[in-house]
Amino acid sequence: MEPATPAATGVTIENLTKSFGDAVAVGGISLQVAPGEIYGLLGPNGAGKTTTLRVLAGILAATSGRVTLAGIEVTPRAHEAKRRLGFLTGTTGLYARLTARELLTYFGRLHGMDAGTVATRIDWIARTLDFTALLDKRCEALSSGNKQRVSVARAVLHDPPVLVLDEPTVGLDVLATRFFRDFVRAERDRGKAVIYSTHYLADAELLCDRIGLLHRGRMLAEGSPAALRAMAGGASSLEEAFLTLVAALESGATAPAPPS
Amino acid sequence: MIGRSHFATVALVYGKELRETLRDRRTLFVMVLFPLVVYPLMSLLLAQVMAGKASKNAAHASRVAINGTPAETAPLRKMIEADHTDFALQASGDNTDVELGRLDALIVIGGAGHAGKTPAAVVFDETRDFSNQARDRIDHLLAGALPPQCQPLYAVADRSIAPGAKVGGYLLSKVLPLVVVIMVMLGAFYPAIDITAGERERGTLETILASPVDRFDLMTGKVLAVATLAAVTGMLNLVSISLTMLEGIRMMGGASDALRIPWTRTLAALTMVVPSAFLFASVMVAVGAMARGFKEAQNLLTPIYFLCITPALIAGLGEYEMAGVALVVPGVNVTLLARAIVLGNARIGPALAVIASTLAYGGIALALAARLYDSERLLYADDQRLTLRDWLRRLLFGASDGKDEGALARGVSAGDALMLFGLAYVLLFFVFFPLQARNLEVGLVASEWGGLFGLVAIYARLTRQRLGAVLVIGRPSARALLGALLCGLSAWVAIGLLAEWIAPPPRELVESLRRQISPPGGRGLFVTLLLMAVTPAICEEALFRGPILRGLATRLSPLAAAVLTGVFFGLFHFDVWRFLPTGLLGVILSLIAWRARSIVPAMLAHAVNNGCLVVLAQLGLDERISTWTSHSQAAIFVASLVVLAAGGALLATDPATPAQRQRA
Repeated sequence: MEPATPAATGVTIENLTKSFGDAVAVGGISLQVAPGEIYGLLGPNGAGKTTTLRVLAGILAATSGRVTLAGIEVTPRAHEAKRRLGFLTGTTGLYARLTARELLTYFGRLHGMDAGTVATRIDWIARTLDFTALLDKRCEALSSGNKQRVSVARAVLHDPPVLVLDEPTVGLDVLATRFFRDFVRAERDRGKAVIYSTHYLADAELLCDRIGLLHRGRMLAEGSPAALRAMAGGASSLEEAFLTLVAALESGATAPAPPS
Repeated sequence: MIGRSHFATVALVYGKELRETLRDRRTLFVMVLFPLVVYPLMSLLLAQVMAGKASKNAAHASRVAINGTPAETAPLRKMIEADHTDFALQASGDNTDVELGRLDALIVIGGAGHAGKTPAAVVFDETRDFSNQARDRIDHLLAGALPPQCQPLYAVADRSIAPGAKVGGYLLSKVLPLVVVIMVMLGAFYPAIDITAGERERGTLETILASPVDRFDLMTGKVLAVATLAAVTGMLNLVSISLTMLEGIRMMGGASDALRIPWTRTLAALTMVVPSAFLFASVMVAVGAMARGFKEAQNLLTPIYFLCITPALIAGLGEYEMAGVALVVPGVNVTLLARAIVLGNARIGPALAVIASTLAYGGIALALAARLYDSERLLYADDQRLTLRDWLRRLLFGASDGKDEGALARGVSAGDALMLFGLAYVLLFFVFFPLQARNLEVGLVASEWGGLFGLVAIYARLTRQRLGAVLVIGRPSARALLGALLCGLSAWVAIGLLAEWIAPPPRELVESLRRQISPPGGRGLFVTLLLMAVTPAICEEALFRGPILRGLATRLSPLAAAVLTGVFFGLFHFDVWRFLPTGLLGVILSLIAWRARSIVPAMLAHAVNNGCLVVLAQLGLDERISTWTSHSQAAIFVASLVVLAAGGALLATDPATPAQRQRA
């Protein structure tokens, strides 16, 4: 394996808001993710997870607030920030009529890598993710699991210090999910800052070092899985903790403060 | 039982599919309403331009000369001299004059006679329309030259002097330029959809937007790819057509002097594929970039395809000169240049103007495409301010419950503006025009008060908005009214002269308008003013400067909304020659309404503008304008611009009242 590229700094989001017309999708959230950490962004549908991640990826512009990625502020320097980011979503599609190698080469070159480096990286990443034999097959001919391997390869090809993964295990079977989880842990151990958004709470509990619970565009609670369970009065699982915290919020009770 | 079960399933599926489709406002708008607007527009455009061309041709006196002995030519010379309308008899001429276009036809009388008839040869150039027209006129004249015994006096033989290559080029020039445009567009159609809307449908849009690539670079790459595919399609078609023609010639007996393909010029015409491909690829990618799916892109691009073909058809079918405005009209200019290249009469200056303007339009469309490929709009667009369901329900049943009161209370949307324009357009074309053709006065009153004002009133009622609010009838300031008055007094002069210089309307149209304003049977000035100045000022402003301008302004800048409203206003007059003047007037009226924050000043300016034209026509003074010298016209044009600018300045400095500020 190639040596890891440690991130200068991870991700910082300060008071981020994002509105679409009158609708507020994200209402002033702040969080920090350190290099070598997996941060889980959890919440029900419509909580603002995807919007937050799209702002982080420079796809959407923030209405207000500040987003910094590997030391680069995203809004004024989107291109530089994007070079330091690996972005993957569960609904990510591939160019079906390109082979895996052609697709990876295309994105590698878009990230400013020269042809030789791209070829070397493709060989390495294909070995790591175990799809070398499929490199010259068209993407349309790949199974769902293998398509996701190619998507992952595309996201990490340029060896970015920050990984943003939005519902990356949607539609994957148990083996593929396990493989993927192991890969994310390995990336964390190589010093990457990873933001992992999912609504599979069990998945998050197994993988994430810290978790932020989003609800209606706001940060409901933040902490390690154990801390969140404690906040919810010793809930037995993250799912129970989440439901307790949401119920408390809906009933107007103040969310408990995270333990110091 | 089984039959009933099948029937129930079919009915269930049918109901679901119909409901789902009818809920897709874009499908309805583009697939049903838009074609109703596009096709009448295309047919009108084609018919009016072709009629204008035919009228121009008919007005051209054929330049002919007669060769032969005085005794033989005397009767014919007398007949031709008597017909001043169709012929301009030249003192002398020969074949070279016909060849070089100095003569339209040459009549050679004399030689060995047959059955008492004098031989007459008509020398013409079959590759020129005016020459063909001269031949037809001469043939007709000679056939009618009957002596007392009622036998034709002349034995007529037509002889074209155009060489084979010129004839081949002429025939090719009728087909090839159209192919350049139509096939290039066809070649761009699906690739443009695939790389824009297809990107979103495949789920690759987010990936590419998260990559460090500039949006303009991204769109440039896409446009160039589409342009390449379109150019290859165009070139393959051109080569195929040329080879097919060659084979046709071979089957007719081999290549002869009578018909030959000018290969060098045909190959040179191929270069026109490149700028055309760039222009159409940019336009199609720009339109495709607005779509959120393959189907929507297809719906948007189909009418665009037909609209883009129209100017090429006009230029391809008619015998237009490559000069003046035609050099910069997209579609028309490349078609004309391709024709000129094939015919061998292209000149470098006009050719450069055509290529430069085409590339410039392509560049503008590309920049627009980059702007339109907006991730926020594509990923999160929400223009369902008044859903189709709400609209149809209100239209059909009225509003009885208060459930969607909130949705209805939020003003006019851009979608409403387009819908109202489309409805008014269709009503006018299919209902009120036939009515106007039967009885002008009744038709005008019905279309203005029923089709325009009535439509706005119904819209206001169905959407539970106050009519005054939809129309934006605020009390304007004295300054705004004065500004509007100055604009109304000057706009018709400036616009009229501009239209006269850029695209002068055919005589028939001017006469027809004059007859409408001042019919032969007579109509009092007061009634005419009411009918043609006051009524349009109220009703047309009610629709265009009311909900259409307001609705468009919710999505566009005030200037862009004013320009688009002007374009709609121009289209609404269903006349290719009046598009420019009415479009410009529409822009000015829109700006007046926007600056004054009320449509009342726009109504005033509109009424004054039309009133001036009515008074001039009724008094017969409008004809005098064409007798002015160019210096006088320029001076009056400048003076009218000064007055217009003064009116504009008054409006621009008009402060908003507190009530207007509150409404804004």
